[in-house]
Formats: sequence, structure tokens, C-alpha cells
Amino acid sequence: MALAACAAPGSRPSGAPAGAAATGASASGASQTPAPVPPPPASPARQFHLGSAASALVAQAHTQAASGEWAAAGATLERALRIEPDNPLLWVELGRVQLGEGNAAQADGMGRKALALATGDPAAQASAWRLIADSLRARGRNAEALEAERRGGSPTPQ
Amino acid sequence: MVVTRQFEGRRWTLPAQVYAAPLELYAGLTLGPAEVTHELERLHYRKVAQLDRPGTYRVNGARIDVALRPARFADEQRNAQLLSIFTGAQGIESLGDAAGREVPVIRLEPLLIGSIFPSHGEDRIVLTPREVPPLLPAALKAVEDRRFDSHRGVDPQAILRALWVDARAGQIEQGGSTLTQQLVRSYFLSSRQTLGRKVREAIMAMALDAHFTKDDLMNAYINEIFLGQDGNRAIHGFGLASQFYFGKPLAELDLSEVALLAAVVRGPSYYDPRRHADRALARRNLVLQELAEQHVVSPAEALEAARRPLGVSARPAGAYYPAYLDFVRRTLRRDYREQDLTEAGLAIYTSLEPRAQDEAERALERELARLDRVRRRSGEPESLEGAVVVTTPQSGDVIAIVGGRDVGYDGFDRALDARRAMGSLVKPFIYLTALESGRYNAATIVQDEPVDLKLAGGRHWRPENFSREANGPVPVVRALAESLNLATVGVGLDLGLPKIAETLERFGLTPPPEQVPAMLLGSVNVTPLEAAQLYNGLANGGFRSPLRAVRVVIGSDGKALKAFPVQVTQVATPEAVYQLDRLLTEVMDRGTGRPARPLLPSGLVVAGKSGTSSDYRDSWFAGFSGSNLTVVWVGYDDNAPTGFTGSAGALPVWAHIMAGLGGSSWNAPMPEGLIDTEIEYGSGLRVLPGCSDDRVTVAVPAATQIPAKAGCGFNDGGHPVTTFIDRTQQWLRNLVH
Repeated sequence: MALAACAAPGSRPSGAPAGAAATGASASGASQTPAPVPPPPASPARQFHLGSAASALVAQAHTQAASGEWAAAGATLERALRIEPDNPLLWVELGRVQLGEGNAAQADGMGRKALALATGDPAAQASAWRLIADSLRARGRNAEALEAERRGGSPTPQ
Repeated sequence: MVVTRQFEGRRWTLPAQVYAAPLELYAGLTLGPAEVTHELERLHYRKVAQLDRPGTYRVNGARIDVALRPARFADEQRNAQLLSIFTGAQGIESLGDAAGREVPVIRLEPLLIGSIFPSHGEDRIVLTPREVPPLLPAALKAVEDRRFDSHRGVDPQAILRALWVDARAGQIEQGGSTLTQQLVRSYFLSSRQTLGRKVREAIMAMALDAHFTKDDLMNAYINEIFLGQDGNRAIHGFGLASQFYFGKPLAELDLSEVALLAAVVRGPSYYDPRRHADRALARRNLVLQELAEQHVVSPAEALEAARRPLGVSARPAGAYYPAYLDFVRRTLRRDYREQDLTEAGLAIYTSLEPRAQDEAERALERELARLDRVRRRSGEPESLEGAVVVTTPQSGDVIAIVGGRDVGYDGFDRALDARRAMGSLVKPFIYLTALESGRYNAATIVQDEPVDLKLAGGRHWRPENFSREANGPVPVVRALAESLNLATVGVGLDLGLPKIAETLERFGLTPPPEQVPAMLLGSVNVTPLEAAQLYNGLANGGFRSPLRAVRVVIGSDGKALKAFPVQVTQVATPEAVYQLDRLLTEVMDRGTGRPARPLLPSGLVVAGKSGTSSDYRDSWFAGFSGSNLTVVWVGYDDNAPTGFTGSAGALPVWAHIMAGLGGSSWNAPMPEGLIDTEIEYGSGLRVLPGCSDDRVTVAVPAATQIPAKAGCGFNDGGHPVTTFIDRTQQWLRNLVH
């Protein structure tokens, strides 16, 4: 019932228990020696977007956050998350609110949740890493923050 | 005077009102027109031809117009407004406001699901005079106290008349008490009928009348008076009575409904409209007749109202989700004194989703009745019991709790209090630990062979497989899918008990389990709620979110007192959890979860695990889709054997709930560094299409070395030969999937 993030075709994780494509092909010759699994094909790119309902709620949350109403902004973002629970962009938004409230540990958790969901979307991964970096820095863990920033790469212009 | 001071100082104790999660409406929500109107009816919206006031709706083909009531949410106060819902084959297509502007998202007001009333049982919703329709005080005066506006607290004329009527009828027909006297009786006095008490009541009534306006007294009466009983919950005041009998605000009641409440005042038990509909109807019509005679309404209006049915809702609103309210109460007990909850007028906004709760209740009731028929033995009158917990994994919201098959019974709450052996529900945490170690993957061969462990004191532990047979070498995917005990014990002993205990603790088990070998087969006792907490982490990609029933508590001043925001803490790597979850989908396709398949929508990808404790005492199933996690326990209260495995007992309940919830497939993104590969289910050898008819696709780390099956098209170097054409085909296939 949730609005799916508008991912590019082929972005559906290949983990479907049924019908997942096999790697390799047929050939002659047989052996019982270990066969290293060939490297995965580069995962097809996708890009997360917000549906119109979630967009409206995110806009409302931004207004609330701008006037320092962090709790209200968080509650509004939770409404959006109930509509699109697997959208990493929303987890980054919620993590930003946590950071604004001074709750860096939770911001870190949400950054990591976003990161796990953002597989295949470099832009979403980058913003998740930036959130993680900021939450680390907020706790004085500057070396780890730098490492997180490095992993996020340079910000992708959108 | 003491009485007036007491009255002045008196504030009603206001039980906390508990609300369900509001339903969010937005374009794309898969809710058809019938379901939309069902949700409106649940909130007691009335279907009309023309929208005339808040609380009504109109259906015009695929378009539904709703006059939304004013509503208070945890974070917003909203005025009454018009909403148009346009539905199509896929659900809601768009929403519009009165001016025809697009509305991206809007919520229906939250359903009142109950209140937390004190041990003396008084529950009420207090109304301001503005919230009371003028018809009600007029009706009360007409029926109970005609000279209310002019007398001085007592009405000698009425007393004389009552005595005369009493003598004639031989029973009490007219109380003769003014509204003020009734108020005094309810406020200050016990209900013992003595002459001394009568005199005191009269004196106090006159004192009140001298000090307060008639409007104040009328408003006090409307909020104070007793109007019904629901178990140990006493319904006080017309605000709550309106919800209790009609499921809607007092302001929305029509003439016939107001007349019924005015009729019930005289004897809430004797004129109980649910238990004594005939008496209640007769008295209501008497009230209507009286209203016409005293020109409060016209004779035509009274006649029309008298033709209406009672209109009482089948189930009282609220207090019918006792297991859920129990969880709410326990959550809040940590932060609030009992008195705050029962007296301070709090509003508690919860995660309960009435639709999910209904599905869970229905499935448990129906399936337990069926299982009882299958199982009934002579001399065993006791019927099976069960419990259900449903969550939204990503937020940790508990959206439904069923504490037993008698869902309305406010007693033993098995979801929270039945602490039972988790059986094979523990196995995923053993295999997760194995995957995390880096020494195991889905294709790793494990030995399913007899185990004989010497314990302290010279005793031996010799676990057995369910089939009583050992299967020899099997791949991990099969060992978990078929819940092989011996193989699992071998893996667990290899990893060490402390590691397994630590994994369970990370996922939220407190206190950590006792580290005995039997723990590997689930000797650990958990409640269904605790099992849901553990599995929620698996459904949520390795993130622990504390399960929550309460989202926010709002004080009587409208300000948030305490919020329970979503929390996520990473407790396992996404890679390990993804591999495990894929194994759990194989449980559903090949293993102990397979009997659920015909009951589920085809194509719905779910992951889960059965659990059976020793001697079939406990039948468990825990599993999830992309939208929901459901945990089901079935067993007897006295811990007698049920004869059901997890697959036979709990699984069908689980499957019916998951089918009813209708969520999306489990569809976690595969973490980078993992890859799909095909192995033979029986042998764990790497295969290609065409060289084995027992293939299973598993997720493994990309560098994994898996022995290939002989004659399966791998070259001598162990690399499968791929051609450009093959790679092209592969690429095309990826595009399609």
C-alpha cells in the first residue's frame, strides 16, 4: 500500500527468492573444484524520489524545523515514513531533525538505516554518509567523521 | 459552607483518553471505495444524500464527499472541513478540498479506543456548555425536573406528586428529585436510601442552588451523571455516554438519540438499550411524547423520531482492545503515576491500527475454533488459546495485539504475560551469528548428525530431530528451512553459547538467556511481545527499534508531555541480516512455512520461522512481509501438549492475518558485496540451470568459494565459462527483473 520510491527499472533488488537470475552460462567440462562466484554486475543505478504525499509532509516538516519545532517536525516526518517506510531520503530527513534536537546517536542510527536502504542510489548514499559524518562530528569523533565523509564522496548536485 | 466550597473546588477526575493511529489518506493508497466508507463508518460518519453537517458523507460513484469533523491530533487542531475522495481501480486516485484544490495528504480523526479510568471505575469525557446541543438540557428539564429554572434546589411540588404517584402505582415512578438533588447524590453521598440522607441531600441542594447559576448546575449535571456500566467501567456524563452508545460526539446526535440518553438517565441498568431494547425504546418514546407536550419539539418531529430504531452501536466504543490498552498502560506506568493517567485529562495517541487489529482478532478466533475441532479429545474441555502481535518493522509501531481468543475479555493478556519456550524461533539468531562470523554462508555444509553432550553432574543431553532421523551433511539453507535440530545444535556449539546469547541480547532480549545447550533448541522463555521485538530486528534489516504502542502523550492544556519518537539502532550488519532473511524466505517456499503458501496472495514474498516447543506445548510462527511483522503463539494456558507443530497451529493464523493485511512483499535491497547464486538444495553444490532440478537461489558474499556440482558446466579452473552473448542475456534479464 505504500507508494514505491520511483526507482529506475531494474532497481528491484535481485534478491527475489524466485526468479533471481543465475550468473554464468553453460559450457562443457566439469570439475568439483571450488568455483569462485564471479563479481556481481555493477548494480543498476536508481534514484529515490518522494511521492507527493511525502513531499508535502517533508515541506511541512522543514517549516516546523526552521522555527525550531523539532518535535513537531519529527512527528510530521514520521507521518511521511508511514507512507514510504523504505525511502532513504525520509530517514535522512528524520536523522537531520534528530541532529537538530541534539540527539546525535539517533541521527547516526537513521543515517545507517538510510544507507542500508539507499543501495544503488549514489546520491542518497552520499546524503546518508553526510548525516553519519555530522552525527559523528557532533560527538567529537572527528576522525571517523572524515572517514564517513570520504565514503560519501563529493556531494552530488541535484 | 463546606458543600459549596467542595463543589467549587471539585474538578472531575479525567481518565486519559486513548486514541488509535489516524488513517492517512493520500493518492496511491490502495483503499477502494468500499474500504473508505468502511473506515468512515468505523468513525460513525453517517451516509447522507446531502452533506449537511460534520460527521456525514455522500457517495457519488467513484467519488466520496466527506464533511470531516473538527479533530484534535497529537500535533494539530483541525477545523471541520470538506474533503472529496476520488477512487479508482487501484485505490485512491486523488483528494480535493471544498475549493477543488488538490490535497496531497490528509488524515481522518483518530478513533477513540478507550480510556484509562481509575480503580473506582469512573470514566467520562467532560464537555463545555458550548459542546452541548441545547436540546439536551431542554429534554432533561422536561423529563426530570420541569421547574428546574425556577425552584431553589428542591421542588416540593414534585415531591408531593411523586408521593401521590408512588401511592397509586405502588412503585417508584417519579423520583421527585430535582437535577440538583441528583447531582448532590452523585457527588457527595452514598446511594443508601435513608431519610437522614434525603434530608441532607435537600439541604445541600438548596445550598448549591443559592450559590451557583442554573447554567453551571446544568453543565455539572451533564458531565457528572451515571449513564451506563461496561464491566468495571462506569460511564459518567453525556459526552462519554454519546460515544459509548452511539460512537459519535454528543453534538451530532439527532432528536431520537438525545431522547434515548434522556430516557436512560432514569435507570441505566433497567433501561440499558443494549440489554433491554424494548424497555429503552418504550421509555424513549415516552420522553419524545413528553417533549412534544411541553413544546420542546413539534408533535411531527417527535412522531418522526419515535419511528426510528434505537440506533445504538453493536459494541460500545472503547475498551474493546483490552490487550492493547494493557500495553499502553504498562508503557506509561514507567513515566506516570496511576493518578496522572486516571485523573489528569491526558490524551494518549497510540500506534493501534483498527484494521490490523480486526484482522488479527478475526483470524485468531476463527482458526482456534477450527483447531479445537481438529484436536478435541474426550476429557479435555479446555480450549486452545492464542496471542498475536503485529508490528510495522521500520518504526517499531505495534499496530495490533490480541491477548486471547476472547478478544473483548480484559483478563490474562497472553501477548504480554504468557512466557513460553520459544522453540525453533531461536534458530534464525543462531544462523545469523554464524553468518556474522564469516565462516558460514547459505551453501556451507553442516552436519546433521547425533549429538551427545555430557552435562555437569554426569547427565547427557541427546537432542533429536523432529523426524527422529539424522540427515547427514546438509547446506545451511536446508538446515534452517527444515528446522533441523541436530545441524543447528552443531552450528551453535561451534560458535559457542555466549555468542548466541549475545546476539539475542543485541536484538532486545532482556535479561540475556541462560547459557545452557538446550538454549540452542529454544528452551528460552519469551512472551509473544518479546518474540516480536526480536523478529522486528530481522524484519528491519538488522536495526532494533523499541516496540512502541504510545507515540505521544498530550496534556489537558494541549501540549505534548512526552513523545516516544521512532528510534533505530543498528545491531547487526545489513549483509548478515539480508543473507538470513533470504534463508527465511526459503522457509516459506521449501520448509516448515510452506503450508502457508496457498493461504497467501500469490507472489507475496514473505520470510518467517516456525517454532514448536518440546511435546508440542507451544506452537509459534513469526514472519514478515515488506510491510508487517506478525508473531502468533498457540497453546494451552496450563501448558498441556497441544499436538500441533508451529506449522499446524500458529502458521494458519499467521497466514490469514498476513493475507488480510495485504501489505507489500519483503523486498530489501541486496547490500553491495553480496551476490545471488544457485546451489543444489540437497547438496549445497553450485549448479547452473539445466543440471539440477533441485536448485535454490541464495545470497552469498561475492568472494564465496562454493564447490561446483560435477558435470554442471564449470571449466577446470572453476570459473564458469561465460560468453559475450551470455553476459548480454544476463544484462537483459537484470533489466527485466
